[in-house]
Amino acid sequence: MLRKRFKKLLEDSPPPEDKKSSIKDIKVKEAIIDPNLDKTLEIFQSIYSYPNNQDVKIRKMNISGLRKNGAILYIDTITNPMVIEEHIISPLLTNEDKTKEISEIVTAQSITPKIVINEALIEINKGNVALFIEGESRVYLIGASQFEARSVEKPENENVVKGPKEAFIEKAATNISLIRKKIKNENLVVESLVISERSNNNLFLVYEKDLVNNKILQNVKNRLDSLNVDAIQNLSLLEQQIEERKYSIFPTILYTERPDRAASFIEDGHIVLLMDNSPDSLVLPATFWSFYHNSEDHYLRFPYGNFTRLLRFLALFITLFTSSLYVAVVTFHSEMVPPDLLLAIAATREKVPFPAAFEVLVMELAFELIREAGLRVPSPIGPTIGIVGALILGQAAVQANIVSPIVVIVVALGGLSSFAIGDISMNFAIRISRFLLLVSASFFGLYGITAFFTAGMFYLVSIKSFGVPYLSPMTPTYVSSGDTVFRRILKNEIFRPGYLKPKDMEKR
Amino acid sequence: MEESKGKIGLKEFIVLTIIMIGTKVADDTPAILFESLHNAGWMAPLINGIIAIIPIYLLIKVVTSYDRKGLIHVTNDLFGKFFGFSIVFILWVFLFSALIIDTAIYADIITSVYYIKTPTIIIYGVLMLVCAYGAKRGLEQIGSVAYLTYPYLQLTFFIALLLTITQGNVHFLFPLFGPGGWEVLKESALKLSIYGDLLYLFILIPYISSTKNFKKGTWIAFIIIVLNLTIAMASYVFFFDYNSVMELNYPYHEVIRTITGGFLTNLETFFFPFWIIASIVRFAIYLYLTAILFGHLFKIKHFEYVIPTLATLIVFIGVIPESTSSTIFQLRQGLLSISTPVFFFLPCLMWLVAKLKGVTKK
Repeated sequence: MLRKRFKKLLEDSPPPEDKKSSIKDIKVKEAIIDPNLDKTLEIFQSIYSYPNNQDVKIRKMNISGLRKNGAILYIDTITNPMVIEEHIISPLLTNEDKTKEISEIVTAQSITPKIVINEALIEINKGNVALFIEGESRVYLIGASQFEARSVEKPENENVVKGPKEAFIEKAATNISLIRKKIKNENLVVESLVISERSNNNLFLVYEKDLVNNKILQNVKNRLDSLNVDAIQNLSLLEQQIEERKYSIFPTILYTERPDRAASFIEDGHIVLLMDNSPDSLVLPATFWSFYHNSEDHYLRFPYGNFTRLLRFLALFITLFTSSLYVAVVTFHSEMVPPDLLLAIAATREKVPFPAAFEVLVMELAFELIREAGLRVPSPIGPTIGIVGALILGQAAVQANIVSPIVVIVVALGGLSSFAIGDISMNFAIRISRFLLLVSASFFGLYGITAFFTAGMFYLVSIKSFGVPYLSPMTPTYVSSGDTVFRRILKNEIFRPGYLKPKDMEKR
Repeated sequence: MEESKGKIGLKEFIVLTIIMIGTKVADDTPAILFESLHNAGWMAPLINGIIAIIPIYLLIKVVTSYDRKGLIHVTNDLFGKFFGFSIVFILWVFLFSALIIDTAIYADIITSVYYIKTPTIIIYGVLMLVCAYGAKRGLEQIGSVAYLTYPYLQLTFFIALLLTITQGNVHFLFPLFGPGGWEVLKESALKLSIYGDLLYLFILIPYISSTKNFKKGTWIAFIIIVLNLTIAMASYVFFFDYNSVMELNYPYHEVIRTITGGFLTNLETFFFPFWIIASIVRFAIYLYLTAILFGHLFKIKHFEYVIPTLATLIVFIGVIPESTSSTIFQLRQGLLSISTPVFFFLPCLMWLVAKLKGVTKK
């Protein structure tokens, strides 16, 4: 009610002063470049608040051969000074030939003329150099951009023992090159899109045009086009803008920092998104299995790879069910436990004044707290957290009869297993589900766990990621390489995933 | 993707059918059969299976001569608007009352066998909540969940059967024909409607990837169901002998309470979750079917939206009978007897009318 009122109030009021001036600004920016050099420079100076804006540089010059005045404008923190000096200024000043065009004089890698101010601004903001010539109603934009970035390093989250150890960095150009290094094919397309209105964030869509399904590609593009946001700094934020179910605890877009993984998804017909400022890539559509898999599963030999898969599968279920099963069994189904063990459990619980559900919940929360704190803690005091967590919370809590020793085992087992699920989004999904299962177990025991689990399955199979069912190719069944819980030997992985409807189904 | 929306494949359809009917082995259906057939109760699923081939065959013949049209459309086409409506209405009444009675029984099983202290209405409510949630998601999703869980359901069921058979006594089966050959045949035939649910599967034809798959799926599922039921019923006799098996309301639950495996002496909580999953999937399909029929009868296009209402109604009607185990047992027996002729004669009638109208020749 209040919100509605407020909204109405906002709509009714006349546009504020700032808005009026910004409308004027927009008009200026949509104009065409004036042949009069001084006038043009004046416009650009005002747009860039020239002398106040420290890193915007304007250098006027006389282009000797052409006998014309000219000026270059650039932002020097994001341009390469070597290029400006050697390939722009020096050729312009030393040119003697009167018949040469500008594009023949300048020796930089790329040069494109633009007519509208707005278009020129976008390029300048990207680190390119604008060259204005007296009497010409266009501006030449010369590629000279150079952004600071770190060098290619090892992946932080998706570690492998066997296999390539490069990770994406915050520079999209480098990331694209890392992918191109793996797919040397002319069909690999890198499309660029501007996705935000104010900050002009650039997004790169990477796919193989002879594989990707046009419908899915169009679907992705439509969703990207419909974005109406001022700024999207990186892929983590973009992910939340384009996903279908924003409240769902299950992720529908895969986030990977490994170029080899991204490349193998592209080779299957997926679409990969890259962006500056994101040391990672987004893979879409994604299925449940892609979150469960790890690139090492395929780098390891068949038996070893499947052994890790089996462990991960077990870990998934242990994480989900240990604590809730413990609560259910102790509270509702004690007859299930062999008598000796039951007596042992009862003996340890004897001094604990709380119900099992409360006990486990407290311990689970403590574990999550240690985990979160351990993540945020500055590295010099990191080990302290481990000691505090293990010693105080484990040992002392047991001695103080707040929790029973068996609960520590149960929680530690579940917590440890949760680390086996590598993908951070899926990890969260599983950990949250664990708490929900715990709650349902404390109300209804095994019945609650089962009912909740079944409802969860109903939910899981109804999720779709860009039109692809979440649990495909298992159900609904599609032709594929059968890479779900376990994988096949490479020789038998013949097909690309059928749920993507790729243009070429067979991998050979 | 978009094209396959709402359609289920062959595998999903088969497991859906198996779960829908096969789960009966774990409720009071065996008790009903044992009551009149004594130790020959295990033959009833087999004999009925053979008899049921006739109506299923005829119905498949009639329905498949229409191009991907379900039972509802076919009855309307064959019997005209008024009779078609009446038949669909009768089918709906049967299904809805079966759903109420069955869910009440399942809630009773859970409360009387596993959760003695919890009020029935809460257990019942949770059961229907999850079923309604599943049904609301749609047939495709129910099929997928059935497919995902079926291997484990069947596996645990087999383990239970294996333990039962090894711990039972084969000689309890004899005399083979119990109360007498003719008696067995007659009494079995009267309970033919244990397979009556198959009739409702024909409603689903438009939602299945192809008519061929439907035909194939129905037969495969039917064979597996008959085998499952027969073997399970026989193993109950192995285990308890007929005198006690006649007394038991829910033999499956008594079996899993009694069998032991190695160091685990109480296995029922191990089998219980799988049975719950099967039951939820089963009632989700029932609920979905009820909603389809209801939607057709009262011209509701988006019938999914009536599912929560139907589920609520079911809970409130289902908790009315006070001593569920005996009252509902009687009701269910009655319902089975009434619906048997419908299940047998409706397909025959449809086939006859279709023959006269010349539909089947097309």
